[in-house]
Amino acid sequence: MENKEVQSVKKRKRKKGLNNIPRKGVERGFAIISLMIIVPIFFVAALLMVILPRPEVSEIEKRKLAGMPEFTFDSYFSGEYTAGLTEHYDDTVPYRDDLKNVGYSFKSLFGIHTEDEVKVVGKPSVIKPVGDNKDGQSEASEPDAAENSKTESQQSGENPGTESQPEHSREESSQETSQESSEDEEVTVENGIIVVKNNGHYRALELFGGGSGSTYAEALNNFHKDLGDSVKIYSMVAPLASEYYTPASYSDFNASQKDSIKSIESKLDKDIVSIDITDVLGEHKDEEIYFRTDHHWTPLGAYYAAETFAKAAGLSFKDLSTYKKNDMEGFVGTMYGFTEDANLNNDPEVFSYYTPGNIDKCMTYYYTTDFEYTGKGRFFNGVGDVRSAYLTFMGGDEQVVKVKTDVKNGKKLLIVKDSYGNAIPGYLFGSYEEIYVVDMRYFGLNLVDFVKQNNVTDMLFTMVSYSAVGDNADNLENLRTQAKGRKIVDEGLKDED
Amino acid sequence: MVFSSLFFLYVFLPICLFCYYICKTIEQKNIVLIAASLIFYAWGEPVWVSLLVISAFVNWFASRLIGYLKKEPKKKLVAAAAIVFDLALLIVFKYSGFIVENINAVTGLGIPVPEIVMPIGISFFTFQAISYIMDCLWGTVKPQKKYINFLLYLSLFPQLVAGPIVRYSVIDEEITNRKIRAVDISEGAKRAILGIAKKVIIANNLYAVVEQFFGTDITNLSFCGTWYTVILYSLYVYFDFSGYSDIAIGLGRMFGFHFNENFNYPFICKTISEFWQRWHISLSSFFRDYLFYVPIFGKPRKYFNLFLVWFCTGMWHGASWNFIFWGLYFGLFIFIETKIGKKRLKKWNKVWTHIYSKIIIVIGFGIFYFTDLGQLGRFFMNISGLSMITNGNEFSDILTRDSLINNLFLIIFAIIVSMPILEKVKYFFYKWGNNTVYAAGQLGGTLICCALLIISSILLVDNTNNPFLYFRF
Repeated sequence: MENKEVQSVKKRKRKKGLNNIPRKGVERGFAIISLMIIVPIFFVAALLMVILPRPEVSEIEKRKLAGMPEFTFDSYFSGEYTAGLTEHYDDTVPYRDDLKNVGYSFKSLFGIHTEDEVKVVGKPSVIKPVGDNKDGQSEASEPDAAENSKTESQQSGENPGTESQPEHSREESSQETSQESSEDEEVTVENGIIVVKNNGHYRALELFGGGSGSTYAEALNNFHKDLGDSVKIYSMVAPLASEYYTPASYSDFNASQKDSIKSIESKLDKDIVSIDITDVLGEHKDEEIYFRTDHHWTPLGAYYAAETFAKAAGLSFKDLSTYKKNDMEGFVGTMYGFTEDANLNNDPEVFSYYTPGNIDKCMTYYYTTDFEYTGKGRFFNGVGDVRSAYLTFMGGDEQVVKVKTDVKNGKKLLIVKDSYGNAIPGYLFGSYEEIYVVDMRYFGLNLVDFVKQNNVTDMLFTMVSYSAVGDNADNLENLRTQAKGRKIVDEGLKDED
Repeated sequence: MVFSSLFFLYVFLPICLFCYYICKTIEQKNIVLIAASLIFYAWGEPVWVSLLVISAFVNWFASRLIGYLKKEPKKKLVAAAAIVFDLALLIVFKYSGFIVENINAVTGLGIPVPEIVMPIGISFFTFQAISYIMDCLWGTVKPQKKYINFLLYLSLFPQLVAGPIVRYSVIDEEITNRKIRAVDISEGAKRAILGIAKKVIIANNLYAVVEQFFGTDITNLSFCGTWYTVILYSLYVYFDFSGYSDIAIGLGRMFGFHFNENFNYPFICKTISEFWQRWHISLSSFFRDYLFYVPIFGKPRKYFNLFLVWFCTGMWHGASWNFIFWGLYFGLFIFIETKIGKKRLKKWNKVWTHIYSKIIIVIGFGIFYFTDLGQLGRFFMNISGLSMITNGNEFSDILTRDSLINNLFLIIFAIIVSMPILEKVKYFFYKWGNNTVYAAGQLGGTLICCALLIISSILLVDNTNNPFLYFRF
């Protein structure tokens, strides 16, 4: 009797177990449990995306994010409005840059990581012998439209413009900034990028497509013709890091930049001084002369270049030991945005720049690209975000700069440059009385008039190899021929002490 | 609007689901779905949404007439008129440029090529309308009485722009009478998340590799490089398109609809005929039912119809010669397989039939990729190894090697997921185990889906623009 009772109690207990419930009931129960897990995640994510603040700029991509589109009937019926709304929402996700970092880290799980690993970005093609080349990027494979759009959107605006400009020129960094800068020199004529690991560190390298630089050489020769012997012209083309650090296995994809520089030299008039810095930099390649995570050389690399220039021009030149070294830690440059390689982000470097001893006696005057005076200040500026550290020099590219030094030798230098050239002027504050810095891509006046009217004595064309052999070189001839005969007034003179 | 965008996932979908579930009656729910579908479509096609509405009306009206008329010839006439209307839409919007270009090329006439932008999804909803008219004519379905219900069928946004081509008979009942059960919502959500993950985690990243090799001049691409890329491209198309179908089927289920499967692990096939029974099933069965068995020119002619079907299958995929070659290419192998006979094929060593079918399929995707016939020619030179002799191309190259190393786990993962291994795991938890095993499987599956949703969303942050491949058709 007692036993029977115990058994029936046990039976009842067993019946309550999960395995005794009909499958349909279990299915329903667990469907509800599943929904109780998924639905909150889904709706919380949706809600967070509405209430959290949305970024306006991407520091990784160095660009302004898509703004809210304006509603018009035209834009609605053409589909632009709805597409713009979607793009704005998708582009300005809260914590975009942080989420991208997580995404890139996830993607790094896709492959095997080895000691000599190489990650390829873009579409490198094998470089044919130099004889086959036409000028410029011909042998670099043309990136397709899709890639272009992505690359451009990523690279547009080397100069984020909003927070890193020097005080006085901040207003000038208008919304056009990010648009114009999409023509940035170093990456439009690329032959793909590789990320290599050497000495335990990751380094991104832009492979060089090659080219003879005829357009560049011809433009310089024309400048020489227009200016005559009163202005000494120097050409100093900077090689990319890929000249020194490309692994042997990828040498077929990387043209010799020394060959291109030699080719330019052979085409230049004899009176133009061509300065080949490939060997000098090569001697120092074990030092940090190029950033691993950025497409520029380091200020140290620029120092060796400036030293070589000073020797060639017979200038007095201060040794690096006389400069004050300034360090900014945690620098991750543009190549992270281009390559989307988490390894670069996880392997930041130190951005070191050098300020000359006479910096306090030098004054930098800022002008718009049409030489309208905007104010005076320092040459080396503090930047808010270490990722924009290269803006330390003059705050970027989109202004004309004049530096008055404490040197009294009557020598006036004009530097025609791309962003590589930004790191050069600081080393020449002890060599010239005045230094003008003009970006070849943005200057709006006639450069021959400008040189003549400002009594410039020396002209230095210094830019990276991509600019010299690629499309950017077309700008040089424009600078010579555009807006001729205009009187140039320097409003900044009134502000001089 | 694309499914794989944050805007769809976190703005459109939550609003749509919220409105849908708070409605009490099926009629109200249907109105929410129609509104959502029209907004969804108008988001990308603010003008041509009118075409969808008109097309739905014309086809619905024709079906009503077919139902009303008593005599067979008159029914046929109405059906023919409706189908001509549907095909005319397709020809005007999808093929007019292609047709004029070819007329110009053959005759030397300089007829200006019309620049008509194809409304997205037109190939899908037009085919649905045709299948509906045919089914009404054959009496396999009863013509829908209410226009609004037919509009719901044709415009239902989960399957509107990229399939599957849902037959009216499949959801006829569910339009007016469907139960929305917790199991359906839960399973549907998981299915949709899997689809998004397939697209965002696998397909997008495979495509990045494909573009690196095929997105440029392939003249000098090595033998191994060509094979490597075309294999990845085949996997990419599978994940892109089946991912989309998963999302469509999953979302459909969340709304209480049960669509048919569109893919059934196509890469495990042993013959090309079997491949097409597993790949884009809704399209191949459409052509089988509405073209192959239909006596178009007098009595049915088996082989003529076979090639006609494959010509049309190719043509359906795009207004370009490579798609037509692609269709006929498969038609040819199916013709050969038919000639050999099923029984004899079955006796063949499985290893060889697997290798044979995979090679044919993969090369087929090469034809599918290269719309430029010059590039397609170079592709054939490379993949056959001929360019190693004629152009001195390498057998293999370092880019291929490094790309493989950098993407090895992704590729292995993609291959595993393209096999029915997960299906077997799911089956184990569902059928073989007791309720505890089932519960463990359910919980595990749910947590995996949550992780996939989060990862996919994070990866989508970097994809401001990533349209689905099948939007082209």
